[in-house]
Amino acid sequence: MKLSWRIWFLVFVLAFSAMSILNLPAIYTVLVGLLTISILATLSFVKDKFTRNILLFFTAVAIIAIIFFTAQQGVLITSLDSNSFVFSEGLRKGMILTSINGNQIKTSEDYSSQISSLFPTEEKIKLTVQTDKGEFIFLTNETPQLSVSAISKTNLKTGLDLSGGARAMIRPANMTPSQSEMADLIAVTSNRLNTFGISDVNVRAVSDLTGNNFMLVEVAGITTDDLKELVGQQGKFEAKIGKEIVFIGGERDVASVCRTDATCSGIRECLPSSSGGYVCRFTFSIYLSELAAEKHANITSNLSVNSTDENGKSFGGERFLSEKLDLFLDDKLVDSLLISEGLKGSATTQIAISGSGSGATKEEAYNSAQTSMKKLQTILITGSLPYKLEILKLDSASPVLGKEFTKNIIYLGFIVFLIVSILIFLKYRKIKITLAVILTMFSEALITLGIAALIKWNLDAPSIAGIIAGMGTGVNDQIVIIDESVSEESENLKEKIKRAFFIIVGAFFTIIAAMLPLFWAGAGLLRGFALTTILGVSVGILVTRPAFGDMIKKIQE
Amino acid sequence: MISAFQADGPGPTPGRRIYNNKKMSEENNSSEEKMGAHEQKVHHHEKIKMNLFKNFNYDKWYKIMFIIPLVLVIISLFSIALTFSHTGSFFLKDVSLSGGTSITLHGDFDYVKLESELKNQYEDISFKGLSDISSGKQIAFIIESSAQPDPLKKSIEDILNTKLDSDNSSIEFSGPALSDNFYKQLMFALIISFILMSIVIFVMFRTFIPSIAVIFAAFADIIMPLAVINYFGIKISTAGIAAFLMLIGYSVDTDILLTTRALRKRGGTLNSRIFGAFKTGTFMTLTALFAVLPAFFIVTGLPDSFRQIFFILALGLSADIINTWLTNASIIKWYCEKKGIK
Repeated sequence: MKLSWRIWFLVFVLAFSAMSILNLPAIYTVLVGLLTISILATLSFVKDKFTRNILLFFTAVAIIAIIFFTAQQGVLITSLDSNSFVFSEGLRKGMILTSINGNQIKTSEDYSSQISSLFPTEEKIKLTVQTDKGEFIFLTNETPQLSVSAISKTNLKTGLDLSGGARAMIRPANMTPSQSEMADLIAVTSNRLNTFGISDVNVRAVSDLTGNNFMLVEVAGITTDDLKELVGQQGKFEAKIGKEIVFIGGERDVASVCRTDATCSGIRECLPSSSGGYVCRFTFSIYLSELAAEKHANITSNLSVNSTDENGKSFGGERFLSEKLDLFLDDKLVDSLLISEGLKGSATTQIAISGSGSGATKEEAYNSAQTSMKKLQTILITGSLPYKLEILKLDSASPVLGKEFTKNIIYLGFIVFLIVSILIFLKYRKIKITLAVILTMFSEALITLGIAALIKWNLDAPSIAGIIAGMGTGVNDQIVIIDESVSEESENLKEKIKRAFFIIVGAFFTIIAAMLPLFWAGAGLLRGFALTTILGVSVGILVTRPAFGDMIKKIQE
Repeated sequence: MISAFQADGPGPTPGRRIYNNKKMSEENNSSEEKMGAHEQKVHHHEKIKMNLFKNFNYDKWYKIMFIIPLVLVIISLFSIALTFSHTGSFFLKDVSLSGGTSITLHGDFDYVKLESELKNQYEDISFKGLSDISSGKQIAFIIESSAQPDPLKKSIEDILNTKLDSDNSSIEFSGPALSDNFYKQLMFALIISFILMSIVIFVMFRTFIPSIAVIFAAFADIIMPLAVINYFGIKISTAGIAAFLMLIGYSVDTDILLTTRALRKRGGTLNSRIFGAFKTGTFMTLTALFAVLPAFFIVTGLPDSFRQIFFILALGLSADIINTWLTNASIIKWYCEKKGIK
């Protein structure tokens, strides 16, 4: 059986798509690609039917075996604190963790059960972590600050509506930002999210048809409340004594912030509150830059020393300065610190910041305090955003629901596939034609997914609808080719197929023309739908349709 | 319908009569020898079908057949105009286009109680259940309102006495200014899309009336589903408008097929060419329709955006059968008769 170059081309593209979709170790990916191509070579060059079938069978078994058994083991490190000891020892985000102290880690549950069996501990213990990039040994009594997730079997990424997470569209309020102002905003926002410890972030500028610029923030595994507070607020932190600003958030004034060291940062006490529920207080130290410390010295040197507060109540022997250090976040007072007598006029660099969180239960209050502390620390480190912001759109998607939807979409795709195959068979009553249609349909979907995986496109629900619709136009075109090729005219088959392509190319350009405006309209939020549709029909016209034409020629001859 | 095309076996079928048609058999004789057994069979089927077609006097009816879609288009336009006069837009907009909050709940809650209590608190609120047809189980419950997300969320939490988190809910909020902007832009995109499609059609056919026929059919393919959607009071989202854009591209392929075949001037009579295109085209549209229908009858637990896209495509494809084979076919038949294309 001699195969045309168009069919060869299709199989090459298919092999590359499969390699792009599957998340296998590199060597196996290449192997799968080579084996796929060898199937074609077998079909094309091996004349003896028996040998050919044997070869095909074993190649297919080998491919399936590789896909099933060589999927990467272990868990992926999705985030780790850059201040933590694991980071300083060389562990990085993106590494694959395979075992802890010799115990294999296959799922994130394995990881958490291992870690919770070892920590917390008073004494320092030896922790041997095996990763794909080598072995790391730690001697520690601190819980490693990292989060892990299961390794995906494919490189396909689903959009927020299917994987769960939050998305916000934000722009500076009362102003039209320029490109560079947007870039500043995006830089500070990304920094803030990273500092907060969120790894799976996508912050980008989007613009619409009328030239409006927006910032689009997409984050997996976060609630809208957190996202709103982290990026929707300017986060202007000011520490004032009286009306004078001593220091503000950001690296100019704040040299460093204690975050992971339990001796200078943490939740100090949890008490039942007067209104029922609990209140937990957190404290952490910050270190001021010399500039800010001098400012503190200058301002405090003019203050008087009191032994009673403004209501005349005694401080109980201690003496404090007449003004307090007031901490403001976005112009709201969050805390007031008394300044002890000893600090008057001194260039103090260390300041303890405290605050609280409340909740119905002790655990809730603890978590709330923890989150508030983390947010405050983040703002102190990253500084305020350059503009007051306006949230235009704020969405969150439940990962639980997304999982259910994804499952159903896959199921639906399978049913559509089946129904179309049956219809084609009922109409043409030829197994070869039906198989050619099924193969083409499958190829189009696979190649479109392959490209999506390659360009790391997040497939949201509309994108997948686009893939299915693209498959639909594909089938339509194949029907045109088949019907033209069996039409009762005197022209030769080649002419007929050529004519079929006139119709197909026409239909192709109308789809492209119709979908193109979606790339820009509505800030590109529906770009995925346009992209997959256009990809699908382009793959059709460039790769699968020519090959299908050849297959039909072969079948009809 | 499909089995009718598959009538098998030779014999004194009506097809024989056409076989004896002088012009046709002359044309066929040259190719007859080259044909394999299969092609002869197909060939024979063509004759039977063409005869079925002949019994129905297309030449007499095609002008009248054009009136049906024309009336439907006028009714649709009228109903859309009515919607416009009531609401100020061509269709009902959901919160993604009008601004507001949509909360999707996931889990076993007392939705009846929730619905009645929320109705008392919010004037402008609507509800939508989403269940999986195979298991009958309710997957999600969608609440839409023009309210801000925080108070609405609080009300729901109070009624259900549960905290809404990412395990049991999804929340979408669109500010009114942004939504309005989206609406305007997507409508603009719809117009641009239509114009671009029209340009492609003109470039392809380079003749005025056949091109206009295709473009009119595409226009009707959008107008009719829109009227149906308005009639049922369904609110359209951003994804819904995207589906209309796709419809513009998707629906013209059968029109292109018909026009190409009708104008080709060879291969049978004009009527047989139109009928040949009809056979291929209806099968194309029906296949596409069968591909989108399972989303409503077999697997129904799908994201709202996904369902809306499929719903609009299903309506559009149904309208396309009318508009290609009544609207466009009638115009092209009339054009060919006038131009003497046989």
